[in-house]
Amino acid sequence: MNEREALDEYVPLWIETPEWEDVLRRARHRRSPRLLVAVAVAIAVFGGAPALAVVLLRDSKPRLPSAADRSNVAVMLQPRTGRIVLEVAPWKGHDGFCYFAYFARSGCVPRSHQTVVSAPPVFGWTFDPRVVSATATTFGGKHVQLLVRRFRGRVNATFFLAGRPFALLHNIVLRDRDGHLVVRLRR
Amino acid sequence: MLDELEAFYRANLAELRRVATAIAGDRELGCDAVQEAFARAVRKRRGFRGTGTLEAWVWRIVVNAARDARRRRPAVSEPVERSTNGHAPVIPLDLLTERQREIVFLHYYADLDYAAIADALAISPGTVGATLNTARRTLRAALEEVSS
Repeated sequence: MNEREALDEYVPLWIETPEWEDVLRRARHRRSPRLLVAVAVAIAVFGGAPALAVVLLRDSKPRLPSAADRSNVAVMLQPRTGRIVLEVAPWKGHDGFCYFAYFARSGCVPRSHQTVVSAPPVFGWTFDPRVVSATATTFGGKHVQLLVRRFRGRVNATFFLAGRPFALLHNIVLRDRDGHLVVRLRR
Repeated sequence: MLDELEAFYRANLAELRRVATAIAGDRELGCDAVQEAFARAVRKRRGFRGTGTLEAWVWRIVVNAARDARRRRPAVSEPVERSTNGHAPVIPLDLLTERQREIVFLHYYADLDYAAIADALAISPGTVGATLNTARRTLRAALEEVSS
């Protein structure tokens, strides 16, 4: 018997059903130890002041900025998974919008004529109503389609982002319905 | 990122559980370590800077979770070698150091190359190669002794 055969016997390979939902459940329910310590300290010091506890226990994940009009939130979904990848809402008291992208980028933007893109991962918007599709180029030279969604109403802007958040992309091209170039952005 | 993690989990679950079981010394603990490791990866996914591969990053978390599980094992539990497959081992793994074992498991069970093991354990590929050679020599010598 060689070492490979002996190792095969030590822990034999077995197949079991994946339990991805269990992974997600564990990820949701586990709070960070730092947060738990903060809560414990708060309770110890303030005798359980409910207001402070609420502040400390509030989910610290980035969200739409507080200046967003939350009564009017629109979302963009990842077509393959159905997950929300972008939340957009009008900016309260301004002509513009607030956004929260799924890779933890958020902000509020005044209306202008600019087309904006940031990376990585690729994410941007344009106020040009002609744009209906967007592509980008990988560093290997491959063209990939970006997710594009136009929001009308008070937001009135078109958003584009990479379906795979960690894909390294550059040379973003926005096109109209007929496939004509509208904007080219280099990163 | 979440999609990539899920895809990696589904594609490599058998190897992940096998390595974690070998490190933790118990099948139940190993499987639980994999679940915990991926929950940790999901929570910390925004901290992944992309400096190494996602695969190496995840393997590092899995190895750490399995080590934690091994440390948390009740003192009264069965010996490692008996708990994994229900009978006495034919391979004298107790002759290897913890680091040697981890490298052996990642190489044989997960089929990772030296660079990937190095990334996962945060050591150099040269160290992986040297450690693996030493471990193999030790195991071969011990197995020869057992069979003779």
